[in-house]
Amino acid sequence: MSEENAPLQLKSQKFREAREKDWRALAALVDRAEKGQLKRFTTEELLNLPLLYRSAISSLSMAQSISLDRNMIGYLQALCARAYVSVYGPQARLTEILSGFFTGLAQALRRLWAEFWLAFVCFFLGAVGGWLMCAHDSSWYTALVGHSAQGRDLMASPEQLRATLGGAEKNDWLAVFSVYLMSNNTQVALMAFAVGVMGGVPTGLLLIMNGMMLGAMLWLFVERGVGVEFAAWLSIHGTTEILAILMAGAAGFYLARRLLFPGALTRKAALAQAGKVAGTVMLGVMMLLVLAGIIEGYGRQTITGTGWRFAIGGTLLVVWVLYFTLAGRPRRKEV
Amino acid sequence: MVAVKRKERDLMASRLTADLIPEAGLRTVITTPEGVRLAFKAADFGTRVGAFLLDYLIMALIPIALIILYLILPLPYLMKTENWNGPLVQVLIILFLITLFFVRCGYFMVFEMGPRAATPGKRVMKIRVIAHDGGQLTPAMVVTRNVLREVEFYLPLTLASVISGQGGGGWPILVALLWTAGVGLLPLFNRQQARLGDFLGGTRVVHVPREVLSYDLVNLEAERKVGIVFSPEQIAAYGEKELQVLETVLRERRQATLTAVAVRIRTRIGYDTPPDPRDVTPDETFLKAYYAALRSHLETRMLLGQRRKDKFDATR
Repeated sequence: MSEENAPLQLKSQKFREAREKDWRALAALVDRAEKGQLKRFTTEELLNLPLLYRSAISSLSMAQSISLDRNMIGYLQALCARAYVSVYGPQARLTEILSGFFTGLAQALRRLWAEFWLAFVCFFLGAVGGWLMCAHDSSWYTALVGHSAQGRDLMASPEQLRATLGGAEKNDWLAVFSVYLMSNNTQVALMAFAVGVMGGVPTGLLLIMNGMMLGAMLWLFVERGVGVEFAAWLSIHGTTEILAILMAGAAGFYLARRLLFPGALTRKAALAQAGKVAGTVMLGVMMLLVLAGIIEGYGRQTITGTGWRFAIGGTLLVVWVLYFTLAGRPRRKEV
Repeated sequence: MVAVKRKERDLMASRLTADLIPEAGLRTVITTPEGVRLAFKAADFGTRVGAFLLDYLIMALIPIALIILYLILPLPYLMKTENWNGPLVQVLIILFLITLFFVRCGYFMVFEMGPRAATPGKRVMKIRVIAHDGGQLTPAMVVTRNVLREVEFYLPLTLASVISGQGGGGWPILVALLWTAGVGLLPLFNRQQARLGDFLGGTRVVHVPREVLSYDLVNLEAERKVGIVFSPEQIAAYGEKELQVLETVLRERRQATLTAVAVRIRTRIGYDTPPDPRDVTPDETFLKAYYAALRSHLETRMLLGQRRKDKFDATR
C-alpha cells in the first residue's frame, strides 16, 4: 500500500460509520419486539420498524459487495434475519390473513373439485357396501360399528334405538360423548389428509371404512323402521361433519396427485404448493369439525323434532354448498 | 498423508476455514420480499430432536398434571357417589377431553401460529419456523407441516402398538419402525434439515441468533504510525478466505495462534525478519498491519468486480 495516498478510512469503514446508528436503532426495536412488547410500541416506532428494516436489508446487500469485514456482515445478516421474522412474523398481519381467509378457503376447495368428488365416491361406495354387507350377513354390523355403537347394537329394539336419537335423557353422557366424537373425527380427518403422502390409497381406504360404518348404521335403523328419524338425527350435524371429512380426503388426494404427477414444477416445488392449498382446506376442515361438535353437543339434545332437525341440517348444507361454490369468485365485468 | 502435511504446512488450510465460515455449513437461503437473499443457519437434527423431546415431555405432563390436580383437590361435591353422573363431573370430563384433544392435535399448531412461531421446546432450543418462500408464515403452512406428523410419527407407532397388542409381531412392526426411521431421518439428508412436513408446508426451521457488532479491525491511522510496508506481491499472496480466517484469529487474540499464523504468513510472503530480535514487530501488530493491507487491497479489487476467492484462485 503506498502510504502517501492511503485514505485514512476504507470505503467499507465510511459506509459502516454512516449507517451504524440505524442498525443499532433497529436492533433495539427488534430486541423489544422479541420480548413480546410489540403492542407497547409508539406509533412512531411502529412506522420506523419497517423503514429501518428495509435500510438494514439494503445495508446488507451493499456490505456484501463492498466490505470484507466478516464480523460486520455476520452482524448485519443476523440483524436482518431477526428483523425479518419480526416484520413478517405471523402476528404482523393477523387481521389481513383473516379477512382473506374465507374467500381463500372456498377458492382452495374449488381447486380440489376433482379430488372432492373422488372422496365423495369413495365414501358413498363405502356406505352402500356397508349396507349391503350388513343386509347380507348381520354379523358384519358388530364388526363395522362395534366400538362406537353406544347402545345401537343388533339386540336393540326400535324403541331403544329411538331413545339413542332423542334428547330426553339429560343424564346421559351425550355431551361428553360428542366431545369425544369431535376429537375422534378430527383425528380421522387429519389422518385422511396426512396419509395422502403415501400415494392416496390409504386416504381412499379410510374414507371407504368410514362410509361403511355409516352404511351399516343406516341399515340397522332402516331395518328397525326408524330410518327417517335416524337420517334427521344425523343430518343436523352430519352434513357439516361429513363434508369436513370429505374435504380432508380431497386434500389428501390432492397431495397424492401432486406427489405422483408434479407437472411442470419440480417435485419439491409442487409439494410445497400443494401443501399450501391443502393446508388452507385443512384449516377449514378443523373449523367445520369444531362447529359440528358444538351442534352435536347442543342442538342434538335441544332440537328433537324430526322436521326441525332436517330443516337445520338441510339449511347448513345449502349454506355450505353456496359458500364453497360462490365465495371469492371473480366478478364478471359487465360490458 | 499428503493432505495432512499440507495442513501442517499452512494453518489456513481448508479444514480450518470450513469451520469458521458459517455459509459453508447447513443453511437455508430465502429471498425476502425486498429481493435480498438472507441466509439462515438451519436448525440441525440434534437441536430439532431435542426440541421435539421437550415438547412431547410437556404434552405428556399436561394430562398427568390434570389428573393429579383432580385427585388432590378435595372437592366434597365430587366425593359423593350420587353426584358422579352430575353436570359438574360432566363439565370437568369435557374440559379434560378438550385439553387432551388440544394436546394431541393443536399443541404444535397453536404455538407455531403464535408471534414467536415456535413451540416451547423450540423456544428453549432457540429455533423457530419460517416460510421458505420468504413471505409470511401463514396458518395454512403451519397446519400442513404439523398434520404431517400424523404419518411421520403417530401412524407407525399406532400401527405397531395395535399389531403387538393383537399378539401379532415380526415384520409389520419392523415395517412401521423402518418407515418412522426413514421419514424421521429425512432431515439428515438435505442441507436445510427439512423434514417431510417442512417440504409440504413450505417451511423451514432455523436458528435466529444474535450477533454482536464488534469494532473494525482496520485502523489506518495507527497502521501509518507503525509503518510496516508490504510490496504488492506480498499483499497478493492471499485471497478473501484467508482474510476471513485472519480476522477470526485477530478477534480471538490467542497468543499461540497469533504466533503460529504470523510465522506462516512471514514465511509465505517472504517477509524479512530483522537480525536483532529487539527490532522484530510483535506478532499481533504485524498481523494487524497485514490484515489492513490485505483487506484494503481486496476491497479495492472488489469494487472493480475482481474478487479473489482464496489463495488458490488464479485471478490476480
